[in-house]
Amino acid sequence: MTTKILVVDDEPRYIRLMEANLISEGYQVLKATNGQEAVEMVAEHRPNLVLLDIMMPVLDGFGACERIREFSNVPIIVVTAKGEERDRVRGLDLGADDYIVKPFSATELLARVRSVLRRAQVSGSVFQQTIFKHGNLTIDFARAEVFRDEKMVFLSATEYRLLLQLARNLGQVLPSEQLLVDVWGPEYHEDKEILWVSISRLRQKLEDDPRNPIHIVTRPGLGYILPPLQE
Amino acid sequence: MIVSEITDPGTLPPKELEAVYAIARAVGQSMNIDMALDEISLLTRPVFIFDSIILYLPTNGNGLEAAYARLIGRGQSAEGDQAWGESISNETFQTGQVIMRSEKLDGWETDRLRTRYYLGLPLRIREELMGTLVFCRFGGPPYTPEQIHLAEFIAAHVAQILGHKQLIERVGNLEAEKRLDQLQKDFIATISHELNTPLGFIKGYATTLLRTDINWDETTRREFLTIIDEEADRLRELIDNLLDSSRLQSGTLPMQFQLVRMDSFLRDITVRASSRYKNLPIQLDIKKTDVRCQADPTRLAQVLENLLSNAVKYAPDANVTLSLDTSPGKVHIAVQDNGPGIAPEHQSHLFGRFFRAPEDASKVRGTGLGLFICRQIINAHGGEITVESTVGVGTTFHIYLPMDEKCENKGIPKEEDQNDYQNPRC
Repeated sequence: MTTKILVVDDEPRYIRLMEANLISEGYQVLKATNGQEAVEMVAEHRPNLVLLDIMMPVLDGFGACERIREFSNVPIIVVTAKGEERDRVRGLDLGADDYIVKPFSATELLARVRSVLRRAQVSGSVFQQTIFKHGNLTIDFARAEVFRDEKMVFLSATEYRLLLQLARNLGQVLPSEQLLVDVWGPEYHEDKEILWVSISRLRQKLEDDPRNPIHIVTRPGLGYILPPLQE
Repeated sequence: MIVSEITDPGTLPPKELEAVYAIARAVGQSMNIDMALDEISLLTRPVFIFDSIILYLPTNGNGLEAAYARLIGRGQSAEGDQAWGESISNETFQTGQVIMRSEKLDGWETDRLRTRYYLGLPLRIREELMGTLVFCRFGGPPYTPEQIHLAEFIAAHVAQILGHKQLIERVGNLEAEKRLDQLQKDFIATISHELNTPLGFIKGYATTLLRTDINWDETTRREFLTIIDEEADRLRELIDNLLDSSRLQSGTLPMQFQLVRMDSFLRDITVRASSRYKNLPIQLDIKKTDVRCQADPTRLAQVLENLLSNAVKYAPDANVTLSLDTSPGKVHIAVQDNGPGIAPEHQSHLFGRFFRAPEDASKVRGTGLGLFICRQIINAHGGEITVESTVGVGTTFHIYLPMDEKCENKGIPKEEDQNDYQNPRC
């Protein structure tokens, strides 16, 4: 099977440069010109590797990297003109596997692609789950959309991240402190009230009977859980 | 006499207390120092007689200078220059104490009003001495302790207004510094991105061609070499523009002014642009032939070529009209296209350094320096460049240049060579 590589850049000449070199090595090339398009292409075409530019319109590379990681562990190489340490660290922290700084040479690009693909082969196949179902609740990770009984529910960014944490850890009780740290940040680890407010709002939006929730369930004294449902 | 500081307004009699409340309210509502002092003077006078009030503030040097002064009642008919209490003010400022002094002017024996009673009050916010407030009474009576309390209370309020004003100024300065800092950061970010992009293409495509493991076909080789060539030009253009823009900004770009005949000059520009941009139909509309300007023809041509190349880039299928007209004392050149137009929200930023309309930035190559340079060049000519644009209708750039005075209202001799714009004779 040919290896599919998604090239994401808003400069057509960079896309052409990477495309020409990658095709010459026998890779199949997919193209996107902004972060949003990249997220959708990953969900739809399941590439084996993503070469991701940072400075792009609509959704930048950092944002795209974060979104892709919500549903896929596809290897990502950040290709950026931002060579500063904090940018490289940010890219890696958001889940990128490697980075390459512009201007780069064609041979270096190809070597990095080979190296990352090799590592990915060792660590196993690409996992990707774009749709998550829990009773009458559906989450589309790629589009960051949530549906209740097929109807779209509008969640705030915080509410979505909170739901994502619970869905990713299906069947596990997550302590309040962990949810606060993961969703709001370490400085919020004691602010239980803001968690309660968001949990309550999520239940209002997602549960048929918010007083007897089936999706977001409280385990008194322990935390919250999205319990496994018996279909 | 140095008066001890007593500032408890609770010891004031009812009438004075009422005035004190009214003053506090007035100060709360007015943050302009002159208006506040006018109001304070008005509210104070019924309970505290004075003939002049002067606010002294430190100058940039060491001295004090009057920042506000009013002559009231008897003061209005007196010799103003003798009633300003400068020495009391200096003493108050030096000691930081409330000071009361009387001064006898010539003829005081016969004219009671020629004895002046001054009260100098320090204006203090916490430990900082911000200035002095001086009251003066012509012919007495001397100030009573209650009146001094009241005056101290007024001074405290004036100090508060000054402190507030100082804070506003500091915040304003900090904000201005922050804006400048941000502009510089944006400038560096943009410039490093703009320089890096063509460099990245040159490096990338050159190393692609240098790969020893693959033989590119002739078409691909030419495609890549053309990109390298174009990107090298882009880099050069960017560097030239950057140098021009910083020289223009610092006023170190040498301008070679000479008398230029505008109609011949524009004909020449049109011919050059038509041969360069084959698909750009340029109409030349010369409404006045007898106009000249003191101009640097190379720089002015740079402006017009920039506007025409913008028309090619941003209004690719449009017709362009280059016109020449006059308005009183001015030469008016317009570059008009019937292209897609510029959104109103972008028009005011168009001449800013590095500004690019977001919707164009990804589609059309550019550095955001061109129009900035145009404006700088036109400004260096003592002229003005403006834009007028309607989305869906088109865009017109107007250039106004000062007409050469010697040539104004003079016709052109018929025998003159119409194409020699650089050596016109008036």
